[in-house]
Amino acid sequence: MRLALGLIAFVAGFATAVLVVRLDRTVTQRFEGRLFRVPSRVFSAPTVLYPGIDAWRIDLRGTLQRLGYREEIRHASGGGPLERGRFVWGGSQVMVNLRPFEHPTRSEPGREVVIQLADGVIQDIVDARVGGSVAAVLLEPERVGAYYGPDREQRELVRLDEVPRHLIDAVLAVEDQRFEQHPGIDFRRIGGALLANLREGRVAQGGSTLTQQLVKNFFLSPERTLRRKLREALMALLIEFRYGKEAILESYLNEIYLGQRGSTAVHGVGEASRFYFGKAARDLSVAESALLAAIIQSPNAISPFREADRALRRRNLVLRLMHGQGRIDDASLETASAEPLRLASVTKDRSEVRYFLDALRRQLPDVYDADVLMTEGLDIYSTIDVRLQRLAARALREGLDDLEQRDPRLRGDGSGHPLQGCLIALRPQTGEVLALVGGRDYGASQFDRCTQARRPAGSVFKPFVFIAGLEPGPDGSAITLASRLDDGPLRVVTPLGPWEPENYDRQYHDLVTVREALERSLNVATARLALEVGVDRVADVARRLGVESHLPRVPSLALGSADVSPLEIGRAYATIANGGIRPEIRTFEDVVERSGETLARHEIRFERVLDAGTAYLSISLLEGVVERGTARGVRAAGLHGPLAGKTGTSDRERDAWFVGFAPELVVVVWVGYDDPRSIGLPGSRAALPIWTRFVLDATGGTPRGAFLPPPEIVEVGIEPSTGALALSGCPDRQPEVFLSGTEPTEVCGEGAVAQRGPGSGSDRAPRGGWLGWLRDVLE
Amino acid sequence: MAEGRPGVSVRRGLHCLVALALLALAGLSCARRADLDELGSFRLSEVAEQGDPARRASVRLVLEGLSVDTTGGSTLALTRYERAIQVDPGNPYAYLALARYHADGVDPGRGMPFLDKAEALLRAERKLEPRVQAHVQGLRGSILSSQGRTDEAEELLARARDLAPTTWGDGRLDPDELL
Repeated sequence: MRLALGLIAFVAGFATAVLVVRLDRTVTQRFEGRLFRVPSRVFSAPTVLYPGIDAWRIDLRGTLQRLGYREEIRHASGGGPLERGRFVWGGSQVMVNLRPFEHPTRSEPGREVVIQLADGVIQDIVDARVGGSVAAVLLEPERVGAYYGPDREQRELVRLDEVPRHLIDAVLAVEDQRFEQHPGIDFRRIGGALLANLREGRVAQGGSTLTQQLVKNFFLSPERTLRRKLREALMALLIEFRYGKEAILESYLNEIYLGQRGSTAVHGVGEASRFYFGKAARDLSVAESALLAAIIQSPNAISPFREADRALRRRNLVLRLMHGQGRIDDASLETASAEPLRLASVTKDRSEVRYFLDALRRQLPDVYDADVLMTEGLDIYSTIDVRLQRLAARALREGLDDLEQRDPRLRGDGSGHPLQGCLIALRPQTGEVLALVGGRDYGASQFDRCTQARRPAGSVFKPFVFIAGLEPGPDGSAITLASRLDDGPLRVVTPLGPWEPENYDRQYHDLVTVREALERSLNVATARLALEVGVDRVADVARRLGVESHLPRVPSLALGSADVSPLEIGRAYATIANGGIRPEIRTFEDVVERSGETLARHEIRFERVLDAGTAYLSISLLEGVVERGTARGVRAAGLHGPLAGKTGTSDRERDAWFVGFAPELVVVVWVGYDDPRSIGLPGSRAALPIWTRFVLDATGGTPRGAFLPPPEIVEVGIEPSTGALALSGCPDRQPEVFLSGTEPTEVCGEGAVAQRGPGSGSDRAPRGGWLGWLRDVLE
Repeated sequence: MAEGRPGVSVRRGLHCLVALALLALAGLSCARRADLDELGSFRLSEVAEQGDPARRASVRLVLEGLSVDTTGGSTLALTRYERAIQVDPGNPYAYLALARYHADGVDPGRGMPFLDKAEALLRAERKLEPRVQAHVQGLRGSILSSQGRTDEAEELLARARDLAPTTWGDGRLDPDELL
């Protein structure tokens, strides 16, 4: 009997020891490995405020709210200094106490500024403390999204020394007031809870300590069984034994679930402070700390956003507990209890940025794989402009809806492939992607038609043909914008059979100027030019400008038969808009580790790939397309200022394009189906209205800047019908731009005849006469 | 002999004309040099109040960048210059400052595209006056020199020294010399 008991005791003891060893291993593995999986966050480009900028257009008030700045209602000039992170919106001035922006290389000081407005435009920015105008202030970047793991948990890790004492006190007061005394299990509390539950006849109180709650969240399922409770208690004791109170408290404060931002779970006091109050945990007041502690019990049922009264009542209960336990004094209790709920605006992660986030992930160096992005808590500062992104998403969505409303047949055949589109906006000088919408609905299709799709370019490819013609060939010859091209019938024999290009209107137009050929998007004249300069040279131009896809060396390349991505086309047009300097495409500026170290930077890089004069001539051609050509609808819609662009329609109207640009903005819009179906509309009717809607909203109707001609460009009057120099006596005169030295020398009415294409009399030639000699010498 | 005299006098006359022209050119050159010396080297603060609001804000960001660059905050300076381009992508001085930044850094060659861009914009805006030209040529010379293209570099640096002797005397452009 004794032996049996001894054996049982031995077996039980051995089993317990094995269990303890196993549990200890589990605990140490977790605590000494990665404690938390922290999704990497993506931030927008910062908003720069400076005198002259339209505060309404950039939605300054909305931006401040989204950044978690809290609006105070008071007279802007009265009421004393503002607290950090607050603003007062007056009629003619805005007072903001800007929070500092912490970044290893781009930190911005926190400061209080007064922004003077007149008709919504910022007139002056004054530093409220030291006085004097400030050139520009930067609002910290806005968080636009994150790379979540399957659990969709978001947290901002905080160290214990970053947490104010009153927040710790509030949590302990309501969750575990004897935390500092017990060894992980609070037997007194368990007894009290048991008695209370017996009295109530139900589970009314829990007896778990913070340590037990942490164990439950880290290691165990939420089921209520004796076995689980036993494991929980053992693990709590082990954690207390191995790691001490501070580590446990810090882990608890970072782990605890505190609410829901859309589909994302808010974990930890750091993240919750940002979510509820728009500030860092270290800046929380006593009342705010008490509110966070109050909602731990049931974050959704006591949500301050939805159940404000309930949250307030429970917050005050926490404050009374804190007072009762001697954690705050009478004055603090009184002040904090009287404090109204002041919450930040709810900022959900924006679904419209999802395509951009995917594109960014693809551009990040390979070391940042999905696992790293979902767990390492990196901060990625992107190039996205939140306002433009929102406008882009709206323009595409509404534009496609409009198209379907006007032409119900576009709604499709029920095959599950709705009409699609994409829009990408770039800053040509820096290659920054400012906005990217890769499809109609990310939820329905994550395929990014801007960066992943390859579609026939159609006529948006044509400018590359003209640039190839404008550049001097091997024999030094080149066309000018006044050269004349033959738009008569053309038949080319190819290994695949004869190729006979036709114009969109199925007409031929005999002799046309280079300018007219592009403005009217004439296929035959363009094809003939491509054949004369050589398809290889056309492909070379496209390649240099930024097209990386395979370009088959066939005659139809000139008319856009090659499959390219909208991003590539955008980059090529950005090179033109940037005066022949090709920018490297950027979706992010830098990647910063949690420790604050910058891991990767993506600096502005570019390379000159096209002569500035030739680039300007192509800009001038594309301006003509907007002024008089296939894209004149842009002007009709009310857009002013310097604009250039090209419509495109692929074979059988399967793809509709418009690529347009202002000096500081390049925008590509593509519309079509994912499957090879015709939309039955040209680019000017399907893509251009979306482009126009976006650019109107983005620029207010007049884009900034100018297309400045380089010094080698001269403007002279020509007779359009002959391309000859038109002096004052000529009946028909129109201005045209030329590279200096290539302007026509024959004067109209002196027997000038229409000149044909490359190698004609209007090609680059030395100027005649002593005046020409003098100009050459002086130049 | 009778036939030769008019030819000789014509030749002498031409020589006199050429000499006079050279003297005039030398005088003009001295006057221009005196003007340049009087105006001093080109500094960005001169253009801080020029242009539209975006340009002014952008130039001020460049000035802030130069200021922190002077005190050793080179990475912060770089981000200031990049921010200046974002505010006004056509601001030639932001590209000039970036070119200077790279010319002074570990990989001076990276400054060349920025210098090209600055020059193109300055030309297009008709602002490539000799004092600005001094910086463009000096920086180009400095970058070429780092790439071992000594002859070309020396020629450009000599021109920069000629146009802005105080600044380019030591063959480099410090951030405070552009402020």
